[in-house]
Amino acid sequence: MNVTTLTTLAQANFPEAMSQITLAHYLVISTAMFTIGLVGFLTRRNLIIMFLCTELMFQAAGIAMIAFGRYHLDLSGQSFVVFVLTVAAAEAAMALALVVLLFRRKESLSAEEWKDLQG
Amino acid sequence: MMQALNIFSSIAAHAVASEPAAGVAQAATRTITQGETWMLAIPFLPLLAFVLIALCAAFKVRSKLPAFITVGLLALSFGAALTTFIQHFMGPAAAPILHVHAFDWLHFKAGPEAAQGFVANFAFYIDSLTILWMLFVTGLATLIALYASEYMSHDVGPGYCRFFAAFSLFVFSMSCLVMADNLVLLFLGWEGVGLCSYLLIGYFYKKAPAVAAAKKAFIMNRIGDLGLLMGIFSIYTAFGTVEYAKIFEFFRSGVDATGNQIGSSTWITIIIPLLFTIGAFGKSAQVFLYTWLPDAMEGPTPVSALIHAATMVTAGVFLIARMMPLYQADPNLLILSIVAWSGAITALWSATIEMAIFDIKRVMGYSTISQLGFMFAGLGVLTPEGSAFHVFTHAFFKATLFLGVGAVMHGFGGQLDLRRLSGVGWMKGFGLVAAAVFIGSINLAGFPFTAGFFSKDMILAEAFARPEGQIAGSQAVAWILLITAGMTAYYTFRSFFRVYVGPKQFVPGDDAELVDLGRHPKGVSLDAWHKEHGHGHGHGHEHEHNDHAHRHGSYGGVGDARAHGRQDFDPSTEEFDPHPPGFAMKFAIAACAILTIAAAGLYFVSPAIGEGGGWAAGMVRQSSAVVSAEVLSGHTSGTDEGHAHGTFLGMDPHHVMYYVSAGVGFIGVLIAAFLHGPKGWQGLFLGVRQSCDVAPRADKLANAFGPLTTAARNKYYVDEIYDALITRPLWVLSHIFHLFDQYVVDGLVNLIGALPRFFGKALRPIQSGEMHGYAVGMAGGVAVLLILVVLLVG
Amino acid sequence: MILFALMLIPLVFAMLVVISPAAQAKTIATVGSFVSLAGAIYAAMQFDPASAATFQLAKTVDWIPQLGISLSVGVDSIALLLVLLTALLGPICVIASYTAITQRLRTYYAWLLVLQAAMTGVFCARDLLVFYTCFEFTLVPMFILISLYGSTNRKRASIKFFLYTFTGSVIALAGLVYIAYQHTQLTPGSPWTFDISTLAETARSLPLATQSWLLLALMAGFAVKIPLFPVHTWLPLAHTEAPTAGSVVLAGVLLKLGTYAVYRFVLPFVPQAVVEYAPLLAILCIIGIIYGGLICWVQTDVKKLVAYSSVAHLGFCMLGMFALNNTGISGSILYMINHGLSTGALFLLIGMVYERYHTRSMKELGGLGAKMPVWSTFMVFFVMASVGLPGLNGFVSEFMCMMGAFQASDAWGSGIWGSLGHRPIGATAGNLGPWFGIIAGTGVIIAAMYLLYMTGNVVWGKLKLPDHGHDHAHGTDDHASKLPTDLSTREISILVPLAALCILLGVYPKPILSLIEQPVQETVLVVNESGRVNMPVKPIESDTKPHAPIADAPAEPAARVVSAENAQ
Repeated sequence: MNVTTLTTLAQANFPEAMSQITLAHYLVISTAMFTIGLVGFLTRRNLIIMFLCTELMFQAAGIAMIAFGRYHLDLSGQSFVVFVLTVAAAEAAMALALVVLLFRRKESLSAEEWKDLQG
Repeated sequence: MMQALNIFSSIAAHAVASEPAAGVAQAATRTITQGETWMLAIPFLPLLAFVLIALCAAFKVRSKLPAFITVGLLALSFGAALTTFIQHFMGPAAAPILHVHAFDWLHFKAGPEAAQGFVANFAFYIDSLTILWMLFVTGLATLIALYASEYMSHDVGPGYCRFFAAFSLFVFSMSCLVMADNLVLLFLGWEGVGLCSYLLIGYFYKKAPAVAAAKKAFIMNRIGDLGLLMGIFSIYTAFGTVEYAKIFEFFRSGVDATGNQIGSSTWITIIIPLLFTIGAFGKSAQVFLYTWLPDAMEGPTPVSALIHAATMVTAGVFLIARMMPLYQADPNLLILSIVAWSGAITALWSATIEMAIFDIKRVMGYSTISQLGFMFAGLGVLTPEGSAFHVFTHAFFKATLFLGVGAVMHGFGGQLDLRRLSGVGWMKGFGLVAAAVFIGSINLAGFPFTAGFFSKDMILAEAFARPEGQIAGSQAVAWILLITAGMTAYYTFRSFFRVYVGPKQFVPGDDAELVDLGRHPKGVSLDAWHKEHGHGHGHGHEHEHNDHAHRHGSYGGVGDARAHGRQDFDPSTEEFDPHPPGFAMKFAIAACAILTIAAAGLYFVSPAIGEGGGWAAGMVRQSSAVVSAEVLSGHTSGTDEGHAHGTFLGMDPHHVMYYVSAGVGFIGVLIAAFLHGPKGWQGLFLGVRQSCDVAPRADKLANAFGPLTTAARNKYYVDEIYDALITRPLWVLSHIFHLFDQYVVDGLVNLIGALPRFFGKALRPIQSGEMHGYAVGMAGGVAVLLILVVLLVG
Repeated sequence: MILFALMLIPLVFAMLVVISPAAQAKTIATVGSFVSLAGAIYAAMQFDPASAATFQLAKTVDWIPQLGISLSVGVDSIALLLVLLTALLGPICVIASYTAITQRLRTYYAWLLVLQAAMTGVFCARDLLVFYTCFEFTLVPMFILISLYGSTNRKRASIKFFLYTFTGSVIALAGLVYIAYQHTQLTPGSPWTFDISTLAETARSLPLATQSWLLLALMAGFAVKIPLFPVHTWLPLAHTEAPTAGSVVLAGVLLKLGTYAVYRFVLPFVPQAVVEYAPLLAILCIIGIIYGGLICWVQTDVKKLVAYSSVAHLGFCMLGMFALNNTGISGSILYMINHGLSTGALFLLIGMVYERYHTRSMKELGGLGAKMPVWSTFMVFFVMASVGLPGLNGFVSEFMCMMGAFQASDAWGSGIWGSLGHRPIGATAGNLGPWFGIIAGTGVIIAAMYLLYMTGNVVWGKLKLPDHGHDHAHGTDDHASKLPTDLSTREISILVPLAALCILLGVYPKPILSLIEQPVQETVLVVNESGRVNMPVKPIESDTKPHAPIADAPAEPAARVVSAENAQ
């Protein structure tokens, strides 16, 4: 099976309108999501929001990866993202648990409450 | 009178020592023979005494045992010295040099080559000079130990052990100093006597002045010791040996180990003798190093008598006499001229102080410095015979005088002020003391036919007799010495007329040394006392005045009667009883006085070698200390004819000096009688003094001199000047060093240590602990990296 | 094997101390230190003094063969003497700590024994890295002894002590490793080795410039340890804060590690540079003597005074070493032992008073002669030993060190000091000379000043005791009351051996002097041969001029003296 047939097969299943969407669109979305996540992370002080922002950046990276995988017709990108999602889910569980614990300590969700590691 | 003059003339004729004797040449060729082992007893018996007393201290002996041990073993030591003298040094013109080896001490290689070995053994070199010294060192030490057994009896117990241990150790060290066969062992003795002096000056260690004086003595001695040590190093470097026998051999042959003429090396002829001279000055309290000796009078009086008058302080004279071949090696005799001048100046300088001060013990201390000046001058004017004889006679008469002063201190509660004592000789039990002191005084003053007279004359006559130009300015030295002799007679009899004769009056002292008890001072006129009270005097007795009113009612009511050995003391007694000396003290004083008289006879013993000067001069001429005929006659400068002899106003000094010095001495005594003598025959009908504290003429005269008197009474402020010039600056420097060490040297270290911390501190704010800070940093970092990549790739 | 045993015995006993109950710690440590002493004496008996310069009792076991590092031990007479000194001070330190240390006994005694093992190792090592390991390892026990058992400022003192000496030694290590590297470079195909004698030969063949850098590196390490001016400032602090036994070991042995290392690694390794810079180093020593001495004079803390006196004393010791002649080096080696005895004893004495009154300030203490006569007697005795009174040990070594400097000059024979025109018989090659001897000699006067100042204040004078009774911050209060007013039998029994040795070494130093004669002679020859390549040693000219015609003048008197003495 050569590359051309594979490409044809892959493209064949997309509806017409969708096929107008190019790699650039995906990357713009991804960049936008990442930037939102980054800015959110840097500007917000609420731990949960910050956590959500990290998740946002995570997913932005995932979208970029899928887009590239599709663009290069390489499935390893998608499989990576499946792993990342799984890990992200586990992480979310852990992180939220931690946030709850931290909240119980200081009755606050502000990240500024926690700077014991200062030099 | 005529008869006396005849006797004088005959003595003078007998004692002419104008030309070196024929026997001198013989002396130089004497060989070294093995001495008997028992001679080791001379130094080691005192050491044994020290060990035994240390054991006494360890076993807490509380009796007079230490004194008995000391007296017994020192007497045995003296016996050994005497036996050595009788067996080997009595009579024969060519006295042997006995060499006794105890054990090997310092042996090491001093350089990589085979010839460079350093040997200094614990071995003894006994020649007639040594035995001359050892006879009076051990003899006087025995007598003074006997005296001290009673004098120190207030302190039986640990203090008594301490005293006699140091005393015995002193005699051992002195023996090592005198008998050593090498310079390093001499140095051992040299520092050893310094240590004992330190321990004994500081005997009353609770008194601050005693502690300070002890420290001062040790440190000032160390300055001299440094000179001596460097001299020893130099001798070794030059000759590859420090043993006398070998050194003298080099000097006799005139060439050093590698065949060079010794006389042509300024290093050997000038620098080494100069270094030794500094050492001698330190130990013998000369010129700029004398200030420790007056302060050393803080020690118990027996110590002053033995160490600071008779023996230790003569070590400098011994050193120069011992190393006489070294001093003669210089054709110009430069260093000997320096020695002569220093001696004369010191003699005059301290004599002026003595005439002004009131502390009879300090008077004796300064007198010792002055007499040592005479001895040094004698060495300088090439008469080691005269110097050694003066050392010998001075040892006895000065010991007598000190023991007399000690008896007075012992009896009057440590009173030393001659204005507080009068007529002591007439008081019960003090007659013998006064008689002994009189004998000592006439010797010190140079009365005709006394030992001190003869020995001083030898020095004076030789000083005048030096040919022009041989010893630079020897005539001036001689005149200074002659004037000093007159002053000596004056100050000696000043003390005598004030303290021992006249109306019986006294004020007891309350020295911590001898806690004596009493109530109201007996026999002193209180008016005089009050008058005295108004005057100031720089004597350290101020405290007496300050609480005078207090004392009035209950003077000296504190203390322990038993401490003074007075079992019969009754505290309710209203009057102070002078405490006359007991048997031991009387015996020692009497023995010293008798020996002082007997020493005069030695002048008439015909010397073993040469003519004139008596026994002691003969002993010196038999030893290496003799001045060689060539040097004495001034032949070394190459001319065939020696210089013409110096004269005393055109007369032969060897003939006229007896009359001159006797005359000068008489004048001194008469002045003393006139100024200080009591009214009546006791003051030779010249004096007018009627109470102990006022001598009208003397006080008037002292006032007339005004500031000069004050300066002399304050010892010309030399201590203060030293303090200002040396001690203070050094002290300040030390503090500067200390601060420098703390803040600069250590500060630099701390600075280097602080650098990492400083950098850490500078970078610390970056670690704010805030999550957002890190996030911004990370994002920024990534951004920078991206830009860089874009720039580089693009 | 016995040398390994000497290192292992204290370690084994240290283990025993750790695993036994605390109450037994004292006993086990005492036994251990005495067993070590016995072992050292046994080793000394095995030693053949006839060939004192060769390394005897040697044993080599591979350690890291790939790098040529082996556990190699052996002693010549000098190392043996220092091993004996270490072993002697062991029991004294242990016994001195009986009442002073009341808490954490096991830690204390275990580390004390470990320290002894490490110090022994330094002196026994024949391999550079064994030496270095032991040299550095001494820091650890000492650090712990100071920081756990010291007085108020102990934390700072221990950290400063550790970092300061450690920094120096690291530089020295760099120098030593550089020599080993050069060895592989200069002899192609040769494997790495750290054998001391092999490397010494390599180092000697290096050019002067390299040797000078190596001298700087080595002295950076060793001068701090000695300590020489200006790298001495850790010493007063460490001494003052250390517990008594720590001070004794510090003064007695740890400082000697530096001097010994100079003798073992500087002199034979970089002789050319040493000869070149000897005057500079000697000037540092003299500054130490005078500067250290004067600082002593203004101290009020007795312990600090004695600590600073170590700076002055070791100045003398190193002055003799840098004289680079037999007299000086022998004197220096003797000085190491003598300083260990007398200064060690002074620290013990100060510790004894501290235990009783919890102060070392001369403002608070005075006139103890009246209250503690036995203590005072010992104090005066050891002060005199320290001052260098002839007849006691200090004199012999001080005399030799000064005389060594005095003799060592090529200028002898010309100028003011020797207008003889040739080298006099007692002079040796060198570039110090009389001025060094004389200026150092003023240190003798200063020593008398400060030590008598101390004696005058502490021993003599009016009795003065601290009024605040006990310092409750200190943990030894209850024990202080158990001590008698004057010294106890235990305290006297540790001072007596030291005093006896002081007298013995002062009165009869001959055995030790002859024991160290051979190795010193070898060192001097090495220095002269490979150190003075540019200025060959002038031989003593004999018979350059005809003798004066005196029949019985000896031909070569000095030579005759020596041979006669040797024949005895």
